[in-house]
Amino acid sequence: MSAGMQNGNNARARIDIRDLSFYYGETKALKNISLPLYDRKVTAFIGPSGCGKSTLLRVLNRIYALYPNQHAEGEVLLDGEDILTAKQDLNLLRARVGMVFQKPTPFPMTIYDNIAFGINLYEKLPKSELDDRVQNALERAALWGEVKDKLNASGLSLSGGQQQRLCIARTVATRPEVILLDEPCSALDPISTAKIEELIDELSKEYTIVIVTHNMQQASRASDYTAFMYLGELIEYGATDKVFTAPENSQTEQYITGRFG
Amino acid sequence: MADIALAHDFAETARATAMRRHGKGDSRFRALTFGAAILVVAIFLGVLIALLNGAWPAIKTFGFSFLWTEKWNPVTEKFGALAPIAGTLISSFLAMAIAVPVGIGIAIFLTELCPRPLKRPVGIAIELLAGIPSIIYGIWGLFVLAPYLQAHVQPWLIDAFADVPLLSALFAGPPYGIGMFTAALILSIMILPFISAVTRDVFETVPAMLKEAAYGLGCTTWEVMWRVVLPYARTGVVGGAMLALGRALGETMAVTFVIGNAHRLNPSLFAPGTSISATIANEFTEALGDLYVPALIELGLILFFITFLVLAAAQIMLYRLERRAGAR
Amino acid sequence: MVDRTLYLRRKAINGAFLTLSAGAELFGLVWLGFILFELIVEGIGGLGPQVFTEMTPPPGSDGGLLNAIAGSIIMSALAVAAGTPIGILAGTYLAEYGRHGKLSFYIRFLNDILLSAPSIVIGIFIYEVLVRPMGRFSALAGAAALAVIVIPVVVRTTENMLLLVPGSLREAAIALGAPMSSVIRTVTWRAARAGIITGVLLAIARISGETAPLLFTALNNQFWSTNLTQPIASLPTIIFQFAMSPYEDWHRLAWAGALLITFAVLALSVVARVLEAQRKQG
Repeated sequence: MSAGMQNGNNARARIDIRDLSFYYGETKALKNISLPLYDRKVTAFIGPSGCGKSTLLRVLNRIYALYPNQHAEGEVLLDGEDILTAKQDLNLLRARVGMVFQKPTPFPMTIYDNIAFGINLYEKLPKSELDDRVQNALERAALWGEVKDKLNASGLSLSGGQQQRLCIARTVATRPEVILLDEPCSALDPISTAKIEELIDELSKEYTIVIVTHNMQQASRASDYTAFMYLGELIEYGATDKVFTAPENSQTEQYITGRFG
Repeated sequence: MADIALAHDFAETARATAMRRHGKGDSRFRALTFGAAILVVAIFLGVLIALLNGAWPAIKTFGFSFLWTEKWNPVTEKFGALAPIAGTLISSFLAMAIAVPVGIGIAIFLTELCPRPLKRPVGIAIELLAGIPSIIYGIWGLFVLAPYLQAHVQPWLIDAFADVPLLSALFAGPPYGIGMFTAALILSIMILPFISAVTRDVFETVPAMLKEAAYGLGCTTWEVMWRVVLPYARTGVVGGAMLALGRALGETMAVTFVIGNAHRLNPSLFAPGTSISATIANEFTEALGDLYVPALIELGLILFFITFLVLAAAQIMLYRLERRAGAR
Repeated sequence: MVDRTLYLRRKAINGAFLTLSAGAELFGLVWLGFILFELIVEGIGGLGPQVFTEMTPPPGSDGGLLNAIAGSIIMSALAVAAGTPIGILAGTYLAEYGRHGKLSFYIRFLNDILLSAPSIVIGIFIYEVLVRPMGRFSALAGAAALAVIVIPVVVRTTENMLLLVPGSLREAAIALGAPMSSVIRTVTWRAARAGIITGVLLAIARISGETAPLLFTALNNQFWSTNLTQPIASLPTIIFQFAMSPYEDWHRLAWAGALLITFAVLALSVVARVLEAQRKQG
């Protein structure tokens, strides 16, 4: 029985996490997590630092597999198929599940190439179509107006907020199905943060979005569902309104009202 | 009361004396370290002045034509540096052409592919190549590598390229074993560890998150390294390669053993040639006459000048990288 | 959406280049194995007790390398004795007194150039300033040339090691009222000791194989000599002379000498590495 059914919501679970545990060497960092992530909804993972919310996010595109000694047990179903099996092609998985990081990570190339690079990995497009895709991605990330005259400038020449929107544009451009955001605003000023939240709202019309955040307001503003985690366990999960107004668990209540964490 | 005041005064003066003594020792020590630091500058300038001074008779006699004259005749005292300069440049650049891609390949292997338990031993093994003194490379090159190349590699290359224009001139026989090709190969092995060590260090300064971002987009390992990590680390890799080039240009013993010591320009890489350092090493102690030694010293001056330019460029690049790393 | 053929091609390219990079590693290891193997095979044959007890022979008769080993040790010892204090003091100036100064920047720059400068040029320098005025080649000149090579190595490692000493340690000592010079001598030098020793060991390893700067400073000597004002033999120059000669028995001694030097140098590097590892742990 998944939490989605309890919700009486007819949205489809794009990703279904079932009994997931995660280990850093011998240390168990996630303990038997089960959780649906609904299609075209924003789900926020919240909790105090070290609770495992980023770890959970990093399982969803298996970026953890870059490091030896880290492994996951259980099932993560993406459209019904388990992505944790050995036969899962990691590159293809990551093309379907895009990720934006805590700090902006523009590649050392031009603004245009930063976007085109990801598209070219999986599609062979004529130049004009590629141009359109780049423009479209930058527009959706609300960056086009600021960079349209300097597409050949280095991606590193942009401000921090612009760089982060460039990274979002880069992820969107490859047309993934799911977008993972790992504290995407933690290095940004309030104005850039507001722009990015707006962007998330806009993107949720088309993508399944998962966001890790330590900012309560952000979680309540930007997400449809919220999962509260503590010490590697999923403490509470439900519609964001409900979790924030009438939490069932006392730890959740203490955390969102700022009494610990 | 008075006693206490006296004791107090006494303590005060004792302390003041100690302070003065400390102060004096302090400034003396500082001056000592400063003197040592200045000595480094003095050595550098001393090298420059000694070379200029020693080379002066040759500079006066031959002028700039020294640089592009091929003739090197101790009997008639006609000297030109073209053959050794060309030999130094050709052997070094050929060595770079081999060592740069291989060195970067080793760095990629060690950072991305090597199984963890093998990382340390394999990394140390490559660094050992840098620890082997150049005279060892020389004796090994002369007695082992050159005969091997002469018997097995050079004839094969000569045959393979015999009908290809341009390459047939580069790989023309007879296979002597010793010569430009062998010297360049040995140089490339010698500088390999420098390039791979610097490249590996620079790769390690690339933020993990940047690599994750590239993998997160669905890049293959090679794409992450070639399109993201290498461009990001470019300055450092180029700096490291220049440092290795500086070493190759100035390397003496390994080259002297195997280059063949012939003051002739020859298009074939298999023909014996010479380099600046090999010429000096071979001829200096036997040089007689008023111009022979100055001509050799002028060769040294030219070598110093070329390596200075290369090493200075390398240093500036690596400093810039350090500043960037420090700023982050 | 995903272009399959494009992806397969990318995977193929990835596989090909990763194989090449593994091949590059193998390339390096094969040379190392090849060199060490030949060195041991050829060197062991010539390595007997007479190598350490007899002088270098004329061609065709038996002999050893004693005078060359002694010459190498004498000159290296002198070079380290002269170069180390200068290098440590200069490195101390760069790290402690002139850390951010403009002058230090230039000194550092020139030092780094000298660190990689062709050693044969150092030989010419000493020839001009010592051999020519003295009118003869000498052990002293050879040692001076080696010292000039030692100094930049020690300067660099000393500075690097002192920069690693945390500023709080210095501040704590200065806050006690200790003058800067005794803070350096009693606190920072002590904290950086293992690293500085590593640097000195590396410098010794570096000069024990140096040949080019000795060719026309110390020259060579077929006989026993400890006179510092006379030419003296050294292992590298003897190896050079013997290897380039046409005589079989000289070749054997050259290989034996080469094996000795390599072992000495590699042993020094191992000790330096162990010290370095201890420093990083402690």
